Amino acid sequence: MERKEIFERLNNVFRDVFDDESIVVTDATTSNDIEDWDSLEHINLIVAVEQEFGIKFNMGEVTTMKNVGEMADIIENRVK
Amino acid sequence: MVLTSLIFLTFSIITLIIYFVIPKKLQWIVLLASSLTFLFYNALTVNNVIYVLIILLSAYFGALLVHKYENTKKSKIFLVLSIIIILGELLILKYSNLFIVSANHFNNLFHINKQFNMVSFSSPVGLSYYSLIMIGYIVDVYRKICNPQKNILKCALFMSYFPILTSGPFIRYDKMEKELYTKHKLNYDNLCRGLIRIFWGLFKILVISQRLAIFVNTVYGDISTFNGTYIIIATIFFTLQLYTNFSGSIDIIMGISKIMGIELPENFTSPFFSRTITEFWRNWHITLGAWLKDYIFYPLMKSNFIQKIGNFFKKIFGKKVSKKITLYLSMLIMWILIGIWHGGAYTYIIGSGLLQFFFIFLEDLFGPLSQNINKKIGINTEAFSYKLYQCIRTFILFSFSMIFFRATSVGNAIDIIKHIFVYNPWVLVDNSSLYTAGLDLLDFRVLIISLIAMFIVEGMQRKENVLDKLFRQNIVFRWAIIYLLIFSVIIFGMYGPGYDPATFIYRGF
Repeated sequence: MERKEIFERLNNVFRDVFDDESIVVTDATTSNDIEDWDSLEHINLIVAVEQEFGIKFNMGEVTTMKNVGEMADIIENRVK
Repeated sequence: MVLTSLIFLTFSIITLIIYFVIPKKLQWIVLLASSLTFLFYNALTVNNVIYVLIILLSAYFGALLVHKYENTKKSKIFLVLSIIIILGELLILKYSNLFIVSANHFNNLFHINKQFNMVSFSSPVGLSYYSLIMIGYIVDVYRKICNPQKNILKCALFMSYFPILTSGPFIRYDKMEKELYTKHKLNYDNLCRGLIRIFWGLFKILVISQRLAIFVNTVYGDISTFNGTYIIIATIFFTLQLYTNFSGSIDIIMGISKIMGIELPENFTSPFFSRTITEFWRNWHITLGAWLKDYIFYPLMKSNFIQKIGNFFKKIFGKKVSKKITLYLSMLIMWILIGIWHGGAYTYIIGSGLLQFFFIFLEDLFGPLSQNINKKIGINTEAFSYKLYQCIRTFILFSFSMIFFRATSVGNAIDIIKHIFVYNPWVLVDNSSLYTAGLDLLDFRVLIISLIAMFIVEGMQRKENVLDKLFRQNIVFRWAIIYLLIFSVIIFGMYGPGYDPATFIYRGF
């Protein structure tokens, strides 16, 4: 799957989880950029991303990923 | 070994001296030897050695096997197996009576004619800390956050590092690896900071907490004599007693570690300045909260069980409501576990579990509503007076829940609450009444001044590190503050019944 496609699908997931149609995520997007992205929503987000791509993050990845770019890296490796 | 005892002082000094004179390669071995001494100081019995070894060996081999078979099914099997062994030991040694009491209640309820007898196991010191710490370690290896420790003695040091055995904080292997096994030089700055922190802890425990304890024990010990206003004061005092004792112990622990150059995670950040119970728990026993979040709450929220419940309610109530339902359910489970961890009795499950959940639940449910109302009627929620009101409200709610925490049984707690409603506020103004509960006028003065000093320091600590600030002051002022702290501990500290230096020095005049 191409990175561009990953980001398109991620965008939809983010918009759905945070109920905000104006969200556009990039490699550098972090929890500081999205108002409702706290540690609770993080888990909801992770679950939604897992469902979207049919993958599972391990908890180490969940707690250590720093931005959306890292999330996309993991997805890219997993769905190869 | 109590942290404020002479024996612990001697023990720590000896450890520190050997730690710094021995070749640096051997420093961690000194720590291990001290830790094992501490671990078995109270009771070197065959049982205790076996209990400790079970946890050490399960964690050590568990982590190695989890790592060896990573990315395979076997890895998960070894993870689950080692957790079951450690958790099983913790549950049996610490919480058997909770199950027995529950079973007896159940039997009574259904008229089953069988009652189990309570059991009593002697559990080794620190069990409820290092069993969770070691579970965290194995899970971190499984999650590839850290590599397993191959040297079993080093693994034993991580598990038994003596300062944290009595009151935490919870430590993580990936953070402690560098701290525990690397070579440390004695450094003047660390020595000063460590010593001041130790004295600050001693001040909180010996000057404040021990004094408050006298009043609390007297009042809670005889609530029909000391009712109404006495109980209100004792309840406030107990919250402060608990905090000064617990956070004071952490100060001593962090101080000793600091001298050795070992940094530990903070466990308290001025919790009484919190505006809500939710915020309070982010500042109180932080490392327990973090442990539960990473190893219970997150996995729980991610679990198929919770997700299925979420999906079920999503169809009925929509996304927003179903999110809240799964959140509250996970929180409820977590708070019950926090209650159980604090001690295997219903008083803890209610006091430090269910009530906290209930407060946070209400805050989350009605928070947005009260924000709207405040906006509509034009209340400035950022004004000092409003913040103060919120802090006081948080303190009162927490103190109320601590009635259960302190009570000997749930019935006792309800009894205490009933006795609050005796109207006798005149004990506050009537000169002698207040001084019949174990503390006299001088004690109250010492308490009030010490508490004010503590709150000022904590208020400052929220903005910047108070020690950094102190070290920037000129030499005279700096040492005046340090001497004031040291002599306050020496003169006003309560070292136990029959030895009260304040009576000794002060009242001789």
